[in-house]
Amino acid sequence: MTVTFESLNAGDSIEGPSFAVSRESIRLFCDASLDYNPLHLDDDYMKGSFGKTQFGGVIMHGMNNFGLISRMITDWAYPAGAIHRRLETRWVKPVRPGDTIRPSGIIKAKQVTAKSRWVVIDVVVRNQDEERVATGEAMVEFPL
Amino acid sequence: MAEAQTFETDFWKDAQSRKGWDEIVPGEPRQTIPYTLTREAIALYCKSVGETHPLYFDEAYARTTRYGGLIAPPSIHIMLMFACTPADDWMRSPGTVNAGQSWSYNVPARPGDVIRLEARALDKFIKRERLFVVHDNVFFNRAGEVICSGRGWTIRPM
Repeated sequence: MTVTFESLNAGDSIEGPSFAVSRESIRLFCDASLDYNPLHLDDDYMKGSFGKTQFGGVIMHGMNNFGLISRMITDWAYPAGAIHRRLETRWVKPVRPGDTIRPSGIIKAKQVTAKSRWVVIDVVVRNQDEERVATGEAMVEFPL
Repeated sequence: MAEAQTFETDFWKDAQSRKGWDEIVPGEPRQTIPYTLTREAIALYCKSVGETHPLYFDEAYARTTRYGGLIAPPSIHIMLMFACTPADDWMRSPGTVNAGQSWSYNVPARPGDVIRLEARALDKFIKRERLFVVHDNVFFNRAGEVICSGRGWTIRPM
């Protein structure tokens, strides 16, 4: 649904697309991002621990979450003539093959500055068990 | 201007030549490589996250928008981070764990852009027995415009 800056209110929600995670989707993201870290590809390596971290198996690239959130923001902003200007995320839980994840957002604040108009959005990615796997904050500009 | 080298996909191959946490100097620039962004690279990235917006694929449509032509999705920097750095860059150390990132977008990257990265470690610290490095990155197009700037937190392998 196309939105306007004036019609937006704190608490309004944005729904993103669901994304099925598989070994193939993880491999495709490696090819697309050029990130071939064994975290995402090497089962034997992931049986061990490194950096005080142990995942027990391959995990999805955290930036895949970032890309999904970004896709949700732009698909929401473009029809309104708005521009995705910032995204900050933290990864809170690993995502594994077989998971299905989905980003969503809730508008936190609107602000008008000297030269433009801005919307701040709390974003989250949840898995099929409604667990949060990534959280963050986005800024979208509605140019005057 | 030099084109990007053939990309090394084996992250073990140059593992011994990369800096470990102890050798990383906050503030010291990382070596980077200019990279020419292609429509094919954009299309592959879009496929990997399900991006289907015509701004990334349909030249005739894109010309009618505020962008005046095809652009890449904002998060294309995910790919540019590796495209613009050499095989011995410490970000390719096996076991590097991404803890979070923040990015600000200025002008979009476009197919055909020769993109340059200025990058450095910005900070390193130990927290809950884990070795962290903070890195910052700024991508420019050939006109010297900032495409985007960002900062990330990684846990370094021991």
